Amino acid sequence: MALANQEQVEALADNITKCANSIHDRLMKAIKNKEIDQNAAQMIFQDEASLRQRANGLYIDAANCVVDGLAESQKSIIDLIDTAKEEIKTIKKIASFIDLIADLLVLAAAAYAAKPAPILAALKEVKEDVEALSKDSQ
Amino acid sequence: MNTTKITSALLLTLALVGCANLKEVRDYAGESARLSAYMELTARFRDTYYREQPYLSGEPDRLAQDNDKRRKAAYEDLLKIHQRASLYMQTLATLAGEDTFDISKEVDSLASGIKAYPDFGINEKHVDAISNIAKVITKWMTSSYQERAVHNMVKEGDAPLQTTLEGMISLVRYYKKTNENERKTVLGFFEVEIPYADAPKDKLLATLARVHVQSKESEYKDAQQKYDDAEKGIKSIAGGHKRLLENIDKLSNDEVKATISKFAKDIKTIRKNLQTVRG
Repeated sequence: MALANQEQVEALADNITKCANSIHDRLMKAIKNKEIDQNAAQMIFQDEASLRQRANGLYIDAANCVVDGLAESQKSIIDLIDTAKEEIKTIKKIASFIDLIADLLVLAAAAYAAKPAPILAALKEVKEDVEALSKDSQ
Repeated sequence: MNTTKITSALLLTLALVGCANLKEVRDYAGESARLSAYMELTARFRDTYYREQPYLSGEPDRLAQDNDKRRKAAYEDLLKIHQRASLYMQTLATLAGEDTFDISKEVDSLASGIKAYPDFGINEKHVDAISNIAKVITKWMTSSYQERAVHNMVKEGDAPLQTTLEGMISLVRYYKKTNENERKTVLGFFEVEIPYADAPKDKLLATLARVHVQSKESEYKDAQQKYDDAEKGIKSIAGGHKRLLENIDKLSNDEVKATISKFAKDIKTIRKNLQTVRG
């Protein structure tokens, strides 16, 4: 419905533009053959310019039709972008998970060596990883 | 020694398998997001009255003022269409991105952290092996997620994107037709007036008018080039996305890669052309 309307509006504007073009051609011929004086020429040109403005007004109508017609697609695109952003977050979360595993390895190694300082440092890393993960999932 | 060899072979295999074949998608989406011709032409459409106003009076001027208000009112909505299409492409490029999910830096700092505690009883070779495995596993896990996410986005995005791009092509056509009427109003004014300025006392006036016509003619010629290029660019974006959708399950196929790359290159060329025209 909207599309048919948009096409009709465009076709009408095209026809008005064509009329203005014909008027201009005829006007230039008349000027060249000295059929009309400057005053008459200016008046005809005013009419031609009015027609062009009418046509341009219709192109604005057609553009507004396009904008209205796109509302639904635009909404789908926004939804998709949001979904993709969530996906990006999820994938980043997987990466954080690997961090956690790697830090746990360090913790295990430190515990095995029974060195208090590395154990505390490793524990701190693990704690940060877990915090980062729970922050992501909120 | 034997274990090391097996480990490296395994790592190499995993690295190759895990590599997401999304470079072409990334290039295409990145170039598409950067094509700003539509935005510039929308601004030109908005400013139509500013350019034609000196040549208008009476009834045409009154109509033109009305059109001016309506174009300014529509401007934001017209721009939003481009912004959304561009954001879609940016998001797709990020989703297909190589660096988006790269954690090798984190893993490297972890490895050096482990190396700082030599008393652990694990040597440097072990540390490197652990950090390499962590890198490969992450890459492998994220890339399969990444491919699926890109796959879903392209599949679900194609229909609304194609509709949006079709709409943008229509809009560029209206801009072009509006510009054509503006051109004929401005140049037509001189065409009508110059023949009447042929008295000797008007020689200076007629000459200045002809010089002005020359510069206006070249301005409109540049503008026309922009409308044509913008249309070509939008069509390339649409064609590229269609090709992506058709080949979404075989993105690692060399022929598919070449086709998608070509779209990215075409869009880039059009973008560069437009920059030259502007300069």
